[in-house]
Amino acid sequence: MSIIEVSHLTKYYGKARGIVDVSFGVEKGEIFGFIGPNGAGKSTTIRLLLSLIHPSSGGAKVFGKDVVTQGTEIRRDIGYLPSEVYYYEGMKVIDLLKYSASFYPGDHTQRMRQLADAMELELNRRINDLSYGNKKKVGIVQGLLHSPALLFLDEPTSGLDPLMQRKFFDLIREENARGVTVFFSSHILGEVQRLCNRVGIIREGKIVEISDIRTLQQSNYKKVHVTAEGLTPGAFELPGVTNVQVENGTVHFFFKGDINAVLQRLSSIHVTDVSIEEPTLEEIFMHYYE
Amino acid sequence: MAIFFRELKANLKSLLIWSAIIALLIVIAVAKFAAFAGNPETLKILDSMPPALLDALSMRAFNLTTLSGFYGVMFIYFGLMGAIAAAMWGSDIISKEERDKTVEFTLVLPVSRAQVVTAKALAALVNCIALVLITWAVSLVAVRSYNPDSTFFRFLALEMQAMLVIELIFLAIGLLLGCSMKRYKISGSVAVGIILMTYFLSVASALDERLDFFKYFSPFKYFDSGELFRSGKLEVSYLLLSAAIIVVCVIAAYQLYRRRDLYI
Repeated sequence: MSIIEVSHLTKYYGKARGIVDVSFGVEKGEIFGFIGPNGAGKSTTIRLLLSLIHPSSGGAKVFGKDVVTQGTEIRRDIGYLPSEVYYYEGMKVIDLLKYSASFYPGDHTQRMRQLADAMELELNRRINDLSYGNKKKVGIVQGLLHSPALLFLDEPTSGLDPLMQRKFFDLIREENARGVTVFFSSHILGEVQRLCNRVGIIREGKIVEISDIRTLQQSNYKKVHVTAEGLTPGAFELPGVTNVQVENGTVHFFFKGDINAVLQRLSSIHVTDVSIEEPTLEEIFMHYYE
Repeated sequence: MAIFFRELKANLKSLLIWSAIIALLIVIAVAKFAAFAGNPETLKILDSMPPALLDALSMRAFNLTTLSGFYGVMFIYFGLMGAIAAAMWGSDIISKEERDKTVEFTLVLPVSRAQVVTAKALAALVNCIALVLITWAVSLVAVRSYNPDSTFFRFLALEMQAMLVIELIFLAIGLLLGCSMKRYKISGSVAVGIILMTYFLSVASALDERLDFFKYFSPFKYFDSGELFRSGKLEVSYLLLSAAIIVVCVIAAYQLYRRRDLYI
């Protein structure tokens, strides 16, 4: 069953483009990555699905219900973690969480404690006094405490330190194992690759690609920098090497394919420095259009 | 319900501040009244003033040396303060969610926008009623030493009812502004602007008979204290007009808020 069905969804803010003719589906139990640079329309899409804003044309269904007319029912089973969390400042963390929980039927106290423990969140502090990262943790607990069937995560890791990011990912995987569907928006390719089954790539308001994460990884580029004495650009003439540039004795290039080919070539050279890294999303996009 | 109680708590400070201001106004004014009370000199001074000025300040209808007359002049200040407080509450209770960027949190809760507006409007309504009751109570205490007669108590009760209706009108206008204005930061200022404009219309309508029709645009004129004092009741036609304004504003507020895009 499709949890999210988006068809020809379009949103203009006056004349400014939000998203244009976006269509995709998310299946039950999936972790769907939604990836694109800043301003591509990721948050616009999520806000449309949450009925915070209304479509200019096209439509979307969540749990088979229309987002414009049945938003209230949809939101009963949704958890949302915005990219920047804002809460009523005067409240204590515990009061805010209780306030939020009171809107969902059932008792969520125990789960609230568990989540707060897992994320190392102090419940008795005032929200005003919290750092950005700690506010984000409040957002995580608040978004998860009513055990939603669908999670919207909008750039969830910003502000979290690496240790917390890992705990957060573990938490999301646990939820997913219980059958929770996750819609994960991000501009960081690495975290999407770690977590998601399928990704949609959005650029300038339009979907450019929807594919399995494996397919995307196979077509993935690496950015390689090699510094060595007497190196010539010709040293890396391999299938899959593109964009070769030489600068102060360092060779930079992109590589697509089996990385072992590059490693073998490297082992025959006496290098002073070498790095192989993920290209930025922008760089991937550049290649997408070549 | 949770939204209603949270709003009551969040607005308590504002209610206390407005109550303190209005209490201070009453105490200072009644202290000043001591100089007018039963003093024929005051009447002489007032008689020497231009009638148009007295009309503008709605002072001609009253004998300032009596407590009822004094409270008749005071009424416009109660009305203005109540109107400003109510309009600010009405617009702010909605627009602050966007200003403080909490709207994403509130509207992703499983509640409809209509439920949110209802809960918030009710909280603002409680504040408005509380402000009237406090004005009433402080007045009763402040004038005790003058041993007012039953006429005064009846007139005071009538004034307080009129103050409540004025508050409700501006609460509805404030709600409408808060629900509809995209530039939510200025909805409060616009609300106060409307109040001042309608107040000046009421002043203008008293100054010149040709501007008499202005009175229909100014809720302050619906319940002119001189009229209240003479007739001893709120005029039905103006009550109906007030009710119509309130209903139209509230319905428009719900409709516009339901369709609005909310972003932070």
